[in-house]
Amino acid sequence: MAFYDRMMSIDRRIIFLSIGLAVALPVIWPLGIPVQVSEESRSFYREIEKLKEGDVILLSIDYEGDVMAEVDPMSVAVMKHAFSKNLKVVALTTYAGGTGIAERILNEAARNYGKTYGEDYAFLGYNPDWSGTILRLGESFRATYPTDQHGRVTGEIPLMKRVETYRDISLIVSISGSGLSEYWAIWAGGRYGVKVISGNTAIQAILIYPYYQAHQILGFLGGLKGAAEYEVLIKQPALATKGMDAQSAAHGLMVVFIIVGNVGFFLARRAHRRARAQGENA
Amino acid sequence: MLIQFFTPNPLFLNIYNVFLDWKQVVLGFTYILGTWSLIRYHTRKIQRKQENWQYSYVALTGLVMTVGAAAIWKTATGPYPWLFDYVQVPMQSTMFSLLAFFVASASYRAFRARTLHATLLLVAGCIVMLGRVPIGSYIAGDIFGVHISLVEISDWILNVPNLAAKRGIMIGVGLGMTATAIKIVLGIEQTYLGKTD
Repeated sequence: MAFYDRMMSIDRRIIFLSIGLAVALPVIWPLGIPVQVSEESRSFYREIEKLKEGDVILLSIDYEGDVMAEVDPMSVAVMKHAFSKNLKVVALTTYAGGTGIAERILNEAARNYGKTYGEDYAFLGYNPDWSGTILRLGESFRATYPTDQHGRVTGEIPLMKRVETYRDISLIVSISGSGLSEYWAIWAGGRYGVKVISGNTAIQAILIYPYYQAHQILGFLGGLKGAAEYEVLIKQPALATKGMDAQSAAHGLMVVFIIVGNVGFFLARRAHRRARAQGENA
Repeated sequence: MLIQFFTPNPLFLNIYNVFLDWKQVVLGFTYILGTWSLIRYHTRKIQRKQENWQYSYVALTGLVMTVGAAAIWKTATGPYPWLFDYVQVPMQSTMFSLLAFFVASASYRAFRARTLHATLLLVAGCIVMLGRVPIGSYIAGDIFGVHISLVEISDWILNVPNLAAKRGIMIGVGLGMTATAIKIVLGIEQTYLGKTD
């Protein structure tokens, strides 16, 4: 096999092993590459920073275990930021698997900041119909969620006594592993005029740009990098910041593989052209 | 549902709210249907000893254990959160993590500069891949006297060509949905009723 053929057909087990090492080694030995903050993340941070003590934010944790590594640091950082500013948080999820994730994040943040359930935050739980939920909340929180995640009557929870519709919400924060942030922007933001910011997987973040440019979404975090940027802004580097070295190494390695494959491709094409020209001359 | 967008009349708003409540209830019932369908599918598979029928026992056991744990000990304490944190989440994360390996292998094989379009895709893909990680800000240089980094080029790709394409698709889809909805309302489109012409 010619050298250029080898360049074009690297065994996939070698690729898998290389990617595995590129991800694992920087986690064990961090490189500490500084994170530069993008304007989208800065806008996301600014919207929360603008809020006053006691303002209520609606945090929608719309993802399950599959994308946790990418978007979980966003939810954790939002809770830290919100509780450090003494904001009130009403959380919910439109994913069945999101309940366990939301409870862990809320309880951990409440423990760390000494917040009380019902006074400083509430978790409404899961509703099966995400589109109906987003629209119905605009008419009545209590009708949409008659009880919270643990069966307590929503109207009897002190924090929920002051939250009737989106009018009582200062900001919606949609952390999503799917296209749900777009619907929060269209239905809650567009129809009821409530401000929306979002945190999304890197793939989904690409779809958020039109909403961001049109100010329907006022700021967003794109993928693990967005989460790391937000951690830098709130001055609490955590999991996302640690993950940046691994992501840099993996992306860099993927580009190297692509370049190697293409160099092999061009060498092969040139060799075939030469061989053909020699054949025609002969 | 449509009229209430155009009138503040409380009657329409009430009807709208009732519809939304019903929608949630109906969707809740789909879970019962889904669970029943899952049980029936796997029990039949076991009865008929179809290919890989042994795994159906795993699926049914998982279902019974999870529902049972939530019913007996509730969702906040006991084995249910444990099952979620140490079984469901690691499994879902593992499945998703595998993507990194397959994407790396697939992009190495598929990203070849065979044509102009493929080259554009390849170059844009590599720029965005590097521009979306911290290392991208260190890949910079002077072009015609202007200092520019890969992050800025990546941002331009996302903010201009990507945005234009996405917006075009969104407008197209929106117009298509509106046209289809009007055809259904006017009775022109009847394929959903089983009519073929």
